[in-house]
Amino acid sequence: MRKGLAMFVAVVVSVMFLVSSVSSFAADEIKVGIIDTYSGPPSSYALDVLDGFKLALNKINADGGVVGKKIVFVTRDDKFKVDLGLTAAKELIMRENVTILMGTINSAVSLAVSDLAKKEKIPFLVTYGKSSNITGAKGHKYVFSMNENTEMIGKAAAIGLAKRPFVNYWIAGDDYEYGHAIADAVWNHLKKIKPDVQLMGQSWWKVGEPDFTPYITSILSSKPDAVIVATGGAGCIPFLKAAKNTGFTSKVPIYMHTGTELSTLRPLGLDAPEGVIGTSNYYFYYPETPENKIFVEEFKKAYGRYPSFGSLIGLYTANFIAKAFEKAGKVDSEKFAEALSGLTIDSPVGKLTVREFDNQVMLPMFMGVTKKAPGFDFLIATDIVTIPADELMPSIENIKTIREK
Amino acid sequence: MDFSTSITLNGLIQQFLIGLSRTTILFIVSSGLSLVLGVLRIPNVAHGSLYMLGAFLCYTIASFLGASSLGFWLAILLAPLVVALVSLAVERGLFCHLYDREHLMLLLFTFALMLIFGDVVKAVWGSEYRSLSPPEVFQGSLSILGMPFPKYNLFLLCAGPVVAFALWFLTQKTKIGKIARAAAVDRDMVAAVGINVSWVFASVFVIGCYLAGLGGALVAPTQNISQGMDHTIIMEAFLIVIIGGLGNVWGALLGALIFGLTASMGILVWPQFSIVFPYAAVVIVLVFRPKGLLKATW
Repeated sequence: MRKGLAMFVAVVVSVMFLVSSVSSFAADEIKVGIIDTYSGPPSSYALDVLDGFKLALNKINADGGVVGKKIVFVTRDDKFKVDLGLTAAKELIMRENVTILMGTINSAVSLAVSDLAKKEKIPFLVTYGKSSNITGAKGHKYVFSMNENTEMIGKAAAIGLAKRPFVNYWIAGDDYEYGHAIADAVWNHLKKIKPDVQLMGQSWWKVGEPDFTPYITSILSSKPDAVIVATGGAGCIPFLKAAKNTGFTSKVPIYMHTGTELSTLRPLGLDAPEGVIGTSNYYFYYPETPENKIFVEEFKKAYGRYPSFGSLIGLYTANFIAKAFEKAGKVDSEKFAEALSGLTIDSPVGKLTVREFDNQVMLPMFMGVTKKAPGFDFLIATDIVTIPADELMPSIENIKTIREK
Repeated sequence: MDFSTSITLNGLIQQFLIGLSRTTILFIVSSGLSLVLGVLRIPNVAHGSLYMLGAFLCYTIASFLGASSLGFWLAILLAPLVVALVSLAVERGLFCHLYDREHLMLLLFTFALMLIFGDVVKAVWGSEYRSLSPPEVFQGSLSILGMPFPKYNLFLLCAGPVVAFALWFLTQKTKIGKIARAAAVDRDMVAAVGINVSWVFASVFVIGCYLAGLGGALVAPTQNISQGMDHTIIMEAFLIVIIGGLGNVWGALLGALIFGLTASMGILVWPQFSIVFPYAAVVIVLVFRPKGLLKATW
């Protein structure tokens, strides 16, 4: 009996010792909580972000970290679901004691976590959610968008498309929030810049539609000048495949926001159609700056593939975090939020600034056209036109009026 | 917006043919589901996962054999066979011990299989999208009535009747088909006359799963091969089987025709709300024929 008691005391003491050593160890670290979709089709984007983030983080930590501390991270899978994302965010704040949160690719999850971040006063850096509400109508002090949003895409696309001779348009897209938001944004801005454009008709399909051939043939039979395709993520690939098989793009030009992005074109290989007009914030071959070349080389060496736009987001998000902590001078959520707002850093696509008014990162956009190129076993974008960030940022007056409503 | 001005007769015929080629895939998959449902009385929720597995295997085999046409045809041939082998292992190892359980238990079991297959596919192939090109001869499109028609869809149009004929031959003309049909009506009686019902069940299960794999392999060049394709197809396949009559293979053909054609014609007639059409057709059928169009074996 005595022996048992002694054992018990020994165990308790050693557990206490372990716990205290863990927490004292943790004090030398800055903990970032990442919530993202690590299962199902969206996970390929989330993993690109994570790899870019890790690459930058390793460098920062190897140089001694920031304010004398290393930056570490923990990840949680939201499975593309709002309730799971929200639970994970709560758990990261309560149990893991993270200083800041980042993620997610799902706009609905991003908005829900943003709401929590506001209540808990924990800064939240949205990495891939593209809803303009994140920093627009629902924006607040603690939420930051590290990505473009539907409003910016719409403006950029409209600027690019208005320069082309198309008048009669058809709109086709995924029948959910993102699809409609993109389509509305492009169309409203296009109508403003070029009032004589006409909308001939619209096609909307369910998310995850496997075969687009019947949609394409029906659009072809009404002979529009150009088609605005508003699909996100998984839908882009089968759409382009069906477009190639039907010879769609050789008859009618199509605009698809992510149509020239690596994430879309790499899986298609040489099956992608030429002549697709697309906008993107990043190509690993453009802009041809020394910073970009170094990034591509390092990323390829570490992960054996080319970096996508997601990888770039991961990279500069890590650098923004490090710089903001440096500016804040200590590990403090409140000070971090104040420091990040209005901050500028260098990146492979040039200087990036988080706009002070709405915490939206100012990203330039590139419009290009898909083409086969020697040396690549997938299509790349050519004839690239840069649309500078200040031309496509959502107007501050607009955000003020929506927020007042 | 005026949506009806652009519909021409040529467009209508074109859309009909496109719908038919999609019907082929739906028929192949749902006939397999129906076969298993009719004879084994198992609502196999994992049927869609085998379809997904077929597509992934087709991709892997084709890229392993090199991107030649021969590689593609071998992949179309081999991928469903591998799926059939997997299903044989599942049937002999797990299912055959469970036939006496209630339907709900079997349903839960196949649901578990679906989750397991989903994770296996994720573990083996990862979460990246994959794409397979059709063989050289079926790339690009032909002009039919002045409209482009993808050559590969033409191939699908031919594959449908071949599979339908093979199924008809199997169920009507071969011994195992006759036994299977008898077992569907009264399995105890079939066992009583000295036939090893267990192996009949195994063969029917394997044939059903082979069809799922074949559907997946055939569809691979027309879409992206990714996780989640199991969920989409299993929903549609069950609806087709239900409107056709549970367990009736010809019901599956009829159901696939209704589902595939209303979907593609709906896209032409009213593209903004085209999603509604096939489901509306399902509702209408079930209002008038709650047990499906053809005689259900249940």
